[in-house]
Amino acid sequence: MASTADYKDRQFLAVIGDEDSVTGLLLAGIGHVTDPPDSQKNFLVVDNKTETSAIEAAFDSFTEQRKDIGIVLINQHIADKIRHRIDTYTAAFPTVLEIPSKEHPYDPEKDSVLRRVRRLFGE
Amino acid sequence: MEERADIDHLLERYLHLLHEYTSLRAELNKLQAGLYQNLARANFAAERGMRYGQDQYDDRMQASRRVVAFPSSSSPACATFEVVKVEESGTADAAEASVSKSNEAVVSEVQSTRREEDGDKEEEVKDSLAEETKPKSLEPKAKKTKDPLRWFGLITPMPLRQAQAQGVRAVEDIVPKLVSINAEMVQVEIEVRRARKKRAKAEAAAKKSEDVTSKEEVTI
Repeated sequence: MASTADYKDRQFLAVIGDEDSVTGLLLAGIGHVTDPPDSQKNFLVVDNKTETSAIEAAFDSFTEQRKDIGIVLINQHIADKIRHRIDTYTAAFPTVLEIPSKEHPYDPEKDSVLRRVRRLFGE
Repeated sequence: MEERADIDHLLERYLHLLHEYTSLRAELNKLQAGLYQNLARANFAAERGMRYGQDQYDDRMQASRRVVAFPSSSSPACATFEVVKVEESGTADAAEASVSKSNEAVVSEVQSTRREEDGDKEEEVKDSLAEETKPKSLEPKAKKTKDPLRWFGLITPMPLRQAQAQGVRAVEDIVPKLVSINAEMVQVEIEVRRARKKRAKAEAAAKKSEDVTSKEEVTI
């Protein structure tokens, strides 16, 4: 059960995605850079050169280290790269949501929520 | 029997949530597809070498849309999410409004008291008050340009503005509903598993007692 203290300060959305996904979401006004000297960003732009370890580190930072993130949005094709982490992540806060990207449309087969549904119905 | 009805009831609720989740998913896909299309159109029409992307992000950006979470009304164990717009300039706007209001009041007061006096004098008072208000009301206005569109210049193409509108809709309307439903689904899953466990225990106990009675009958 989540207590009020768990989510009281979680006021930001974080995003891990390709450039277009991040640009689209930042245009909506969710981007935030904390005050210096930390200057922590709440987004990570992933391209072909981004290492999986960097994605994992950003995911860890948003879900475990930072206490001001309420929702983590991640492109589904990027979530696939760290699928083991996404599927084993069970904390209520921050909550993780997979979103489609430009080149990779949403695939229900990979959606962790629908995988849970299948497990519940014994498939 | 009672346990089975409970489980059926929970599963029915779960399926309703699943339906809501899938329809919201479809809506999000549609919005995101439109957003990417608009971004592509903006990039296509942009000046040579220009791309609406991370090179133009403002490194001092502050979130104008933030998450608010509170206990759900249907089941207090899980949270409901909302994304709200934070008015950075809200206080400035309010201050501006109060300043102009008070000045309007002063102007009308002056007008009423001086009605019988000369018209020219009245004009002078109005002008001087208007001058006083001008610098005060302009100051806060200068502070309130936090719109991320401005990272990409003063005049931005229509597709980029449309992409922003779609992004706002996705972030404000769809994403918080999706995560709230997900939280509720997790809660119902827990309840279903608990109910199934309880039913299994009850069935095992019933079977045991049946075996005992049948053994007793055999011995008699």
